[in-house]
Amino acid sequence: MLKNNNLICFNSFFFLFFFMLINFFFFVYFIMNGLSVFFEWEIISFNSMSIVMSILLDWMSLLFMMFVSLISSVVIFYSKSYMNSELNLNRFIILVLMFVFSMVLLIISPNLISILLGWDGLGLISYCLVIYYQNLKSYNAGMLTALSNRIGDVMILMVICWVMNYGSWNYIFYFDFMKNDYVMFIISFMIIIAAMTKSAQIPFSSWLPAAMAAPTPVSALVHSSTLVTAGVYLLIRFNYLLIDMFFFKVLLFLSILTMFMSGISANYEFDLKKIIALSTLSQLGLMMSILSLGFPDIAFFHLLTHAMFKALLFMCAGVIIHMMNDIQDVRYMGGLSLYIPLTSLCLNISNLSLCGIPFLSGFYSKDLILEMVSFNSFNLMVFILFYLSTGLTVFYTFRLIMYVMINDFNLMMIYNLYDEDYIMLNSMFVLLFMSLLSGSFLSWFIFSYPYMIYLPFNLKLMVIYVSILGSILGFMVSNMGIYSLNKLLLSYNLSSFLCLMWFMPNLSTYGLSYIYLNFSQILFKNIDMGWSEIYSGKGIFNILKNYSVFYNIYQMNNFKIYLFSFILWFMILFIFFFI
Amino acid sequence: MAQIPLGVKTHAQKVCSLYKRALRNLEAYYDRRHVYRYQAVLLRERFDKHAKETNMIKANEFLKEGEEELFLKQHPIPKYFATSPGGVAHERVVTPPDWVLDYWHPLEKAQYPEYFKKREQRKKEFVAMWEKEYGKPDEKDKHH
Repeated sequence: MLKNNNLICFNSFFFLFFFMLINFFFFVYFIMNGLSVFFEWEIISFNSMSIVMSILLDWMSLLFMMFVSLISSVVIFYSKSYMNSELNLNRFIILVLMFVFSMVLLIISPNLISILLGWDGLGLISYCLVIYYQNLKSYNAGMLTALSNRIGDVMILMVICWVMNYGSWNYIFYFDFMKNDYVMFIISFMIIIAAMTKSAQIPFSSWLPAAMAAPTPVSALVHSSTLVTAGVYLLIRFNYLLIDMFFFKVLLFLSILTMFMSGISANYEFDLKKIIALSTLSQLGLMMSILSLGFPDIAFFHLLTHAMFKALLFMCAGVIIHMMNDIQDVRYMGGLSLYIPLTSLCLNISNLSLCGIPFLSGFYSKDLILEMVSFNSFNLMVFILFYLSTGLTVFYTFRLIMYVMINDFNLMMIYNLYDEDYIMLNSMFVLLFMSLLSGSFLSWFIFSYPYMIYLPFNLKLMVIYVSILGSILGFMVSNMGIYSLNKLLLSYNLSSFLCLMWFMPNLSTYGLSYIYLNFSQILFKNIDMGWSEIYSGKGIFNILKNYSVFYNIYQMNNFKIYLFSFILWFMILFIFFFI
Repeated sequence: MAQIPLGVKTHAQKVCSLYKRALRNLEAYYDRRHVYRYQAVLLRERFDKHAKETNMIKANEFLKEGEEELFLKQHPIPKYFATSPGGVAHERVVTPPDWVLDYWHPLEKAQYPEYFKKREQRKKEFVAMWEKEYGKPDEKDKHH
């Protein structure tokens, strides 16, 4: 059994790593020469109809495939040690490989049918991965994930129906012709809704924190870098079409709210993986908002750098959870940096990269986004919420670092705390290397000329001011000495509202299904167990039973009835013969 | 009757349950142990003030107020142990019951011959140990 685990883990790791290298070489070649390649295979050609399978390879898809295969290879290597005690590791690795395959299919497809295959595959396989542990929490989380993603699937299906108006599903060819059509109005609405469900923007944001019931390698691969970025990638591909549409402004509004809401909720949350999930949600809101402001290449840049350090962050969280015997609550942890120096190195670097500390990888993308927001004259609300969310990012990051690493040792008893597991550490170091360098490396490759941004001095430094403020607040909040419950209770209602994600998960689960379940209970009690029992099930049985009881009275040789029927028969004979 | 109560709790049990839940609630709010200890001592003092109350009406009122206060002040994200009900890792690893082994295919059983040789004997010894400690089961309990 153990040998099988070794084989499948190492084989898939080597395969995916080799695939990553191939993609990297082709990416460099393609972007240096400005190439873009279409492969087409004709499946059926009949009279005037032809079904063609096509693949688009340009620098964007090759780069994204390189990142996806790097992260998935590292995660599979990591899960060899993390999921060591699992009996069903084969099933897990095969699910992860199928997930990567669906993602690659989504990335390379220039037409909507293969996007649908990849999109549906992502949704279904992420459901299988979330319910991997098979306890009640996982089942509920999986249901929430699958049903939220299903809404997006339905939207893509409807887009396929509407795009049939143009004669083909290759949206890539029709950008110039589709721009000012009325049908585009409907298509854009549905595409944006689909992307919002996958990337967990505000009406559909309840599934991402719940999906943390999945094993940590799944969270590192799926919920930080691949599944949730599929929506952003779809919008980047469709960006040329959607840029003047009204719904992009709605998307801007909703994604900024998502960014803000999840930043606040992460400050009140105490589950380690949920904090990181809400941080992912915040960065997704950032990506969506900069995309809807009209900068798809910056959104793509942030997507890639974010994938690196978020996957690393989840893997560090996995080491910590393993060490603490499956406890994920941050209130049980404290002062761990002395015991797990290498893991805390990775954790710190990925956290600082998330905050946008200068010259780490997150800085290049995040700072560019904020400077573009300041440079172009947008709304005051947009400006305020962007910078506030950046400050909140630093706030919850520092709070997390304080709780986990820096505070006093808080464990209930002396655990044997160590991070010598070299398999997990080696996989984290690969991502650490990329998390340090991918920012600069990508900015040199993707942007052939830098954006020319002229800002006043203080506005340029606004990011630094906001970061410093956020870090001071983070330090203060988690280092409070003796404080009383009464002061916490003054803001109990507000803090409940803010920590439970503005009650949106409750609204989208109980709120939507309560009235239907109530009605169905009424129907069930009155009809299924009420009238239809009288008129078909139990009722007919009762009627037949009563009849047979009645007949039994005759068959039991009841003497009174026997005499009475004798007299009656006698009377009938008398009347018949003598009258 | 529609619902038969499964058990009746004494007043002392209810008060102890409230106290324990209140302590766990404090633990959720105060995560540094020394801070929690201070607040727990204050809570204990509040409970001890009315501990010797002999008037049951008043005692029930205090209990009711305490439950109400706990409900209003409960932490939105309580602190659970990972493998307890409500925690993240609850029921992740499920041990199959022992009688499943009786349903194994003979080829599967042949892979562990030593164990299955002694299994019947082990079952008999287990039943004997149980009956020695708890007595023989009642005849009325065997039929539904």
